Amino acid sequence: MELASGLIAIGAGLAVGIAAVGSGIGQGIAAGKAFESIARQPEQTGTIRTLLFIALAFMETLTIYGLLIAFLLNGKIGG
Amino acid sequence: MSAEGGGHGAVGPLFDIPIIGTEYHLPIYDFVITSWVIMFILGFTAWLASKNMKRLPKGIQNVWEYIVEALFGFFGGLMGDSRARKYGPFLATCFLYILLSNYSGLIPGAAMIRGFTPPTNNISITAALAILVFVSVFYYGIKAKGIGFFKHFVQPMAFLLVLNIIEEIVRPVSLSLRLYGNVFGEEMIIEQLGHMMPFLLPLPMMLLGMLTGAIQAFVFTILASTYIAGATEEHH
Repeated sequence: MELASGLIAIGAGLAVGIAAVGSGIGQGIAAGKAFESIARQPEQTGTIRTLLFIALAFMETLTIYGLLIAFLLNGKIGG
Repeated sequence: MSAEGGGHGAVGPLFDIPIIGTEYHLPIYDFVITSWVIMFILGFTAWLASKNMKRLPKGIQNVWEYIVEALFGFFGGLMGDSRARKYGPFLATCFLYILLSNYSGLIPGAAMIRGFTPPTNNISITAALAILVFVSVFYYGIKAKGIGFFKHFVQPMAFLLVLNIIEEIVRPVSLSLRLYGNVFGEEMIIEQLGHMMPFLLPLPMMLLGMLTGAIQAFVFTILASTYIAGATEEHH
């Protein structure tokens, strides 16, 4: 039924779109603070870089969840 | 089997291995064959490097010594040198396996040739890796601390037991989904861009795919080592 297919498509688009907003803002704040702290203490760059990657990976995962839901919904368009 | 997303149909197994004595088969899919090839490449080059070990390394022994030293030094920075030597082989293998299989998606003919699909394109392989990490956390924790390992579930306060158990169970789920989503999503986007404008448009996405492939291998290994280090830390 076409109404259902259209709604599923809108759902898939909204899933990844809204998921990207939160992680974009969060990763921007985390990276900004990391740059500030590297500027204050350049000898700790290695530790800060490792922790920054871990933090970015956690936030990225939430966007990837949205992307996976979008793929699953994409497969269901068309009955 | 790959997920049905965006019109990408599931591909059947290449051949079946019958299990002797029962009626069942073991289906051998494409990514299993590629996984065997990666295992063979890693094992064979490592064996070549350690065949006639000299004091002054040259050739392939040099490459492997550089890789091993870099990886173990990195784990030493995270966990301390003695624990890095104990748990290093498992973590280094995870890292090299995920790195090679992420990059095998960039070789021409990756998902086209029958029998050659990057293993991490598939939720089964990443879930298997995450289950390995989960089991290894329990195994190393019990080996290091005995039954007292289970005390950390009620560590700050007793009523956090349910939250700690849920966190332990969510960890392998998030590990596997993170790796799978990044690699499979990258591949899917490259395929769609390839349909739109072949040869030109997928190129920036493939460069980005090289970057995220390396970062995802790195992050998987860092998280695995953090979990193992947290499970086996000494009392302080």
